[in-house]
Amino acid sequence: MSRAFAIAANTFRETIRDRILLVILVFALAMIVASLWLASISLGQEARLMQDFGLVAVSGFGVIVAVFVSAGLVRKEIDKRTVFIIFSKPVGRGEFIAGKFLGLSATMAIVVFGMTVFLFLLVWAVAGEPSGRLLVAGGFIYLQVLVVMAVTIFFSTFAAPVLAAVLGLCVFAAGQLSHNVLSLTQLGENAVLEGLSWVVFLVVPNFSAVSLTPVVVGEQVADWSTISGWGGYLVAYAVIMLGLSWLVFRRKEF
Amino acid sequence: MEREPAAAVSIEGLRKTVTVGFRRRRVEILKGVDLTVGEGETVGLLGPNGAGKTTTLKIALGLMRPSAGTARLGVAGLHEVGYLPENAYFYDYLSGRELLGLCARLLGLSRGARDERIAEALKEVGLQDAAGTQLRKYSKGMLQRIGIAQALINDPRLILLDEPMTGLDPIGRVEVKRIIQRLREEGRTVLFNSHILADVGELCSHVAIMRSGEVVWRGPVEDAVPSGGGSLEDFFVQVVTEGAVEPENAESGSPGVTR
Repeated sequence: MSRAFAIAANTFRETIRDRILLVILVFALAMIVASLWLASISLGQEARLMQDFGLVAVSGFGVIVAVFVSAGLVRKEIDKRTVFIIFSKPVGRGEFIAGKFLGLSATMAIVVFGMTVFLFLLVWAVAGEPSGRLLVAGGFIYLQVLVVMAVTIFFSTFAAPVLAAVLGLCVFAAGQLSHNVLSLTQLGENAVLEGLSWVVFLVVPNFSAVSLTPVVVGEQVADWSTISGWGGYLVAYAVIMLGLSWLVFRRKEF
Repeated sequence: MEREPAAAVSIEGLRKTVTVGFRRRRVEILKGVDLTVGEGETVGLLGPNGAGKTTTLKIALGLMRPSAGTARLGVAGLHEVGYLPENAYFYDYLSGRELLGLCARLLGLSRGARDERIAEALKEVGLQDAAGTQLRKYSKGMLQRIGIAQALINDPRLILLDEPMTGLDPIGRVEVKRIIQRLREEGRTVLFNSHILADVGELCSHVAIMRSGEVVWRGPVEDAVPSGGGSLEDFFVQVVTEGAVEPENAESGSPGVTR
């Protein structure tokens, strides 16, 4: 496992030095600051609107960064032939995939928690009533980002980076909508559509059902055991996707 | 990778077929390579472009799978092997020291051993002064030397170098040749691909010549360079264009012709 950590440390160093990451992060912070304008036109709902809009920005930018960085994470090593240096050493394919994932996870922790803490402080300074659950919601967004990363890494083991990124974004979008689409098709009488909706619902990560944003803004109530269950579901999904990535990548020749 | 202690490298009947293009045309790039490299030998693997030299090394290292045949390394594992890829690219955001640190960690060296080996490897390739410089600022010759340093970071028994002299200026070539010479004097096993026949003649104890996915000649350098005159270049051209050649001195005990 120490080899996986060596690869993780190198991946973290690589991604954290990427200037595009900094540009996206600045843009994301600007979007969060823009929530001040929304707060100014709300009637006594400043904190709620800022948290709602801010968490959408954290999630959206987190996913965008995760998808575009992880789509090229494995392929770049192959294209630039740095894999020769790695795999001429006693490094397993699983250790490589785990290392790449862990390294980017560390970078994304800084990105997501950095944005969340910034949002928390902004809400505190402007509205004076940030919910402690805002930080937990940031943690949940981070788990969702990890799942999107694992899915995109899986696609990148056999597809070009652009295609892997598109597929990663599609899975994220499907994961946001699958719950609602299933509910809608259950209202209708088309068994085929309902069956398809069930397949999508079961295969893609069910992001909409495990989001903490409605809890933070007071639209939904959830106890800690429910929240833990959702977290376990996301972690399990990420682990399964990494396992599938390893199954594909171990057959690869360089 | 299978292991066999008798020889440093033992390749038998190695075949590799790949599919190419939209119609997935099958191309046989190795057609039954047989090659043995003894402990302590310095072997130059020669051949025209596309002969299968790089593929042979990659299969020996486990970077590619053979379609048939075996490639065994006579070492306990990849932690005893050093490898320099052809036209090696390294993480250019790392410094030379950071790259060697990464390689040492991948090889499982302890922290104390790491620092010691990094200092030794940098000294071996004469890059102590540039150790903290990012690799994107290295010249081609410096990159080749740091590549050799990462191949030597684990003090390997077996060293595989793929075109170590390619793209180097005369000074860089001399430096790399000096390193290979020193490895030979230390009794390490070195197998390297090269197109620069003069260097192979100067550095190697043995030569293997590949053509169209097969080893068509293997023997000591002296057998390839006739005592009455001629050069390794003449011999190479003759073997590659005309096929197998009997060794001049049959009593030398060389493995000689392989087909």
